[in-house]
Formats: sequence, C-alpha cells, structure tokens
Amino acid sequence: MLRSSLTSATRRGLSAAAAEPPTKKVAVTGAAGAIGYAMLMRIASGQMFGPHVPVELQLLETEQGLKPLKGVAMEIKDGAFPLVRGITQTADPNTGFGDADVAVLVGARPRGPGMERADLMNANAAIFAVQGKAINDAAKKDVRVLVVGNPANTNALVAAANAPDIDPAQFMAMTRLDQNRAMGQVAIKTGTPVRDVERVVIWGNHSSTQYPDLSNALVNGKPALDVINDTKWVREEFIPRVQKRGAEIIGARGASSATSAASAAIDHIHDLYVGSGDAWQSLAIRSDGSYGMDKDIWYSVPCRCPGDGVYERVLDIPSPDEYSAAMMDATRKELLEERDAVKHLLPAATRKQAGTKPARKKRAKKATA
Amino acid sequence: MTVSPITVCVTGAAGQISYSLLSMLAAGNVFGPEQPVTLHLLEIPPALPALAGVVMELLDGAYPLLHSVTQTADPSIAFADADIAVLVGAFPRRAGMERKDLLQKNLPIFKRQAHALNEHASKHVKVVVVGNPANTNAMVLAAFAPDIPRANISALTRLDHNRTMAQVAARLDVPVQSVAGVCIWGNHSSTQYPDITRATVDNAPVFDKLGGFEIVARDFIPTIQKRGAEVIKARGFSSAMSAASAIADHLRSWVCGEDHIVSMAVPSDGSYGIKEGVFFSFPVRCMGDGVVEIVKGIEIDEFSKRYIDATAEELYAEREEALALLE
Repeated sequence: MLRSSLTSATRRGLSAAAAEPPTKKVAVTGAAGAIGYAMLMRIASGQMFGPHVPVELQLLETEQGLKPLKGVAMEIKDGAFPLVRGITQTADPNTGFGDADVAVLVGARPRGPGMERADLMNANAAIFAVQGKAINDAAKKDVRVLVVGNPANTNALVAAANAPDIDPAQFMAMTRLDQNRAMGQVAIKTGTPVRDVERVVIWGNHSSTQYPDLSNALVNGKPALDVINDTKWVREEFIPRVQKRGAEIIGARGASSATSAASAAIDHIHDLYVGSGDAWQSLAIRSDGSYGMDKDIWYSVPCRCPGDGVYERVLDIPSPDEYSAAMMDATRKELLEERDAVKHLLPAATRKQAGTKPARKKRAKKATA
Repeated sequence: MTVSPITVCVTGAAGQISYSLLSMLAAGNVFGPEQPVTLHLLEIPPALPALAGVVMELLDGAYPLLHSVTQTADPSIAFADADIAVLVGAFPRRAGMERKDLLQKNLPIFKRQAHALNEHASKHVKVVVVGNPANTNAMVLAAFAPDIPRANISALTRLDHNRTMAQVAARLDVPVQSVAGVCIWGNHSSTQYPDITRATVDNAPVFDKLGGFEIVARDFIPTIQKRGAEVIKARGFSSAMSAASAIADHLRSWVCGEDHIVSMAVPSDGSYGIKEGVFFSFPVRCMGDGVVEIVKGIEIDEFSKRYIDATAEELYAEREEALALLE
C-alpha cells in the first residue's frame, strides 16, 4: 500500500495549538511574477520550512503589479492550504517587510531595449536601496534576506548597505540555482542519481563569470573529476553550459526559468532553516576575507547549514589549482567592477561626500556561527 | 532508497497547469518525502520543443526524489507501466464553440488515450481526468479501457471543492482547515453544485450563518462558478497554480488516504438517484491505496435536489451526445 508520511493529518496541520511551531512571516517581492507564482504555492504547502510550520505571506509588488497580485492571492486562498495563516498584498515596502522573518527579493528591473549595463546597475541599485532601508526599519532584526533578482550579488550588497542595523551576513544572493543546474549536469554525465552528487561549488557572481567547480565534488562518494575523467568536457562543455543555462532555457521554453529558480530559492531557505547536515550549499554572502577574497563583495562560496538560519563557510578545503584560481579571480574582478559601478549610491559614500563621519551603529547578532 | 519509484504520466505536460504540477510531483509534495517518482510527459508534436525546456528545468531542480523523466508525443511510451495518469491535455474551448464541438474535438483524444492506457499502463493504474469536459472525457476513457477497473478512473472537482472551502473560510473569517462538510455534486461545469448545507466550522454547523438557501443561490454558487474567470480577469492568465494544487490534493487523498470528506467525480453507482454510466462528483471518503467510498445516506433537501438533478441532466445529455458522436 502506498502510504505517505505526508499524512492527511500533516496536510491539514496539527490540531493541538500547543504543538504548533511559531508562524514564519515570509515577504516576497515581485510576487506576481513567474518566479513568485511558482514559489508561493510551494511555500504555502509547507516546502520552505517543513510540513508543520505555518506561514504568513507578505506579497510586495509595484503599483502596476497589484492587480495580477490580487489574482495570485485568490489562487493561494483557493488552494485551501492549512499552513497559510494570512496573506498581505501591498506596494508599500514597509508594510511588505513588516516583521518579516524571511524576505525573498525576486523583483528587479530587467534589462530593457537600449539599456547599457550601467543603466541596469543604477536602476536596480535604486530599487534595492529602498528595500534595504525598509527591511532595516520594518523587518525582524534577525531577518534573513535572499536576493534573487539580478544582478543578485550586487543587489544584495546595496540592500545590506542600506540596512545599517542588520548584520550584512544576513543578506545573501542566490547561487543555489546554478548549483542545482551543475549537479543535474554531473548526474546526467555520470549516470548517477542527483542525490548521490555532492560538494559541487559555485564560486563568485550569479552571472556568466560564475565558476562551477568540481574540484571537491563527489559522485557516490568518489571524486567527480575522476569518475568523469574528461577535463575537456568539464572546461569546454560543463562550465559554459551551467554559466549560460538561463539563456538555454529561454531558447527552449520561450520564457525564463521560473520553476527551477523558485525551487532553488525554496531549497536555499529550507536548508538554512531546517538544516542540511554535512552537505555543501553555495551561498553568495558578504566576503569576510576568507579564501583570500576581497572583503565586502557578495561572493558565492560553499557553506554548511546546521539549521535555524545559520551558515558556516567550508574552510577546510584544499587550495584551488591554477585553473580554478584563475576562474575564481575573473568572477571576483567582475564583482569589484559592479561594486564600483554602484559605489556612489551607497550610504557611506553619500555621507563621505557630504563631509560627515558615519555614525557607529550597533550590529545585530551575527548570523554565522 | 529502497522504495521503488512510482511512474506518473502527465499529458498536456508543457502547459501551464503541468508547469505548476510537475515541481510538486518532483519535490515529493504529492506522495510524500520517501517516495521517488518517475515522470512520463506527453505532449502533441508542436509542443515538444517547449516540453524539452520543461524537462531541462526539471533536471535543473536537482530533485532527490525525481528518478527519471521521459518526454514523448507517443502515448504508448508515455503510458508504459504508468501507476498514475494525469490527463491534463485536452482540446481547449475556442470562442463560439458549442458543447457539441468541444465533445467532438475531445472524444478522439480520450478514446486514443484509453486504448494506450489499456494496452500499456500498469494493471492498477489510477487515472485522473482534468482536461474538459472532464466528467464526460472520463466516461469515454472508461468505455474504451475495459481492463481498467472503473473505480480507478476519476475526474477532478477538487479545485471547486477547495474554492468552496476557501469561500466559507473567507466569509466567516476562520482558518480554512477548520472548515468541513462541504462538497461538490455533479459535473465540472457551470452546473456544478457547491453544497454548503452541511458546512461546519470546528464541527459547528454554519449554513445559517452563511445566509441559508437564499445566499447560496443568489451569491455563493455564482461566486464559485465565476472564480476561474475572476482569476483570469485579475492575473491575465488562468488559474494554473490552484488547479495544480487541487490535482496534487486529489492524488494524495486518493492514493494515501484522507481524514476528511472530499469531492471527486467517480462512476455513479445509483446513489442519490444518479443513473449509472456517468462520472458524477460526490462527497467521498478516501480510505487509502485507491479505495474511495461515496458517502451514503445524506438527506438531500429540496433545494439541493434541484441543483443535483440539473447537473445530472446535463451529464446524461453529454453522455448521449458523446455516444452519438462515437457512432
């Protein structure tokens, strides 16, 4: 008999209020877009924090997005999800982020026709500055922020810079999608179930300069590079494929990768809160100088997630070989350029220009162990 | 993992509903976190390139429970060894189409799929028909798949059921999980009857609080019927997410069992005076492992009887039209 441990009692939520974990307030921006749509159903059905954790959904959109957002909220209600304790729909960031435990920042300004890269950076820096400030003012002080909207790493930097009361370590950009894509490719190449592929690392920027690194990867416990035994494939097929997968999906679907992006966001937050044991997860986090990296760029590195919102960098890692070092360096350089492009929009720079000294703000409790 | 994968076939696999459903299936949300899944995805030939993109994204999800994926336009491959078949794909209603036209377009599709299922699927395959006209498509399927026990075929009315729960919860400002006692009778069409006469909140009857018979006729039923259109008006797209969620619920209840009474369109057995030979949505108990029992012995008031009779008449007429077209 096919029985599910996801029994109907679980599905309908625990009956005894005493047994129920506290409700998690999740803010999602760009909530009426394709990624938001794919994500919200899975959050509502308990896949972000676990099948017993109730959620309150705080959905943030632009003014134009409020009408389709209404339809999305209708559908969430029509899902009759027992874990959904409330739905807020708003275009006001302070309301959207009010008391949030988790904020997933999906909404971003896409590249329009004739837009230069600098325009894209500026337009998004403006958006994420406002959101960073609202998160600072309204969200819970131990909020965890996952930036999905591109350019994700630099958007995370801008948001964190505008949230002086929140530890920047709590702001992360998403490279889990790239990690999942890389794992999928290794699984196919080696004919292994993806659950037996481990320690695939994404270094750097969530862009075409990312470095999908198999140096430490394992397939059924054996070194992946040995199992694959094909450096040419790794460097000329695997790496470019993962880097450009987004474009490949658009070419095939005629639309961008909403479902897999949403799934990666779910995975990222789930593993952060529920924990994923010894597994390595790629998180784009504020560099603290580890790995010989410049500080204060948001650079994807491998971490372990013991649970409860904590991540720990994987530091017991062999030094990168020459090829890897060069790849890691290229993406580092791009992130430094991106940071330079938005420097003039960061609060410290503004204060510096005005000739005043930045006030010392007390840091909130650190996110990392 | 020692549990063998369950093979789930989804038709119309490149469409909007499937796009929402497939990640639920792959992530273990339907059959549970210990049950691996093999997906067989069926599309019509023009949609195969889009389906390839869908499959790429499934791969990019790195789902630990997703054992393998097959993509095809050939039903004999898609249905091979299927344990579950979700028939989402159907010929859509175009502007100006009468019911007869819709039936005419869909009968050959479901007849062909019936043959393929009968020939290639697991002997114990469970089939849920989603594509419209769902109830009559299910009837056609049953007619042309003689080796599949009728009890293993159903049509989806769980979306209407969930919408009804949500409306009761919204109107009384209570959590949706405290609502029980609602059900959907009849055809998944504009004649469906969302029955809230026995609705309870925390086991207390609330029909009078909701406004009694007058409100049901004047307001509640039209709200449920028009909900799909309301979502389209707001979103600009149809309600894929909630439909997918309802399919997931239907499958989970059917296969894994369910504590509460839910709604499914199942072969009528004469209960409540509904003639055999049609697929009719009833309140049902899901005992697990595909065992479904129509809830018997409910006293049907005069008001409800009118609605139930009307939707039954529509189904009998659809059945007659279908049989005539098939000759």
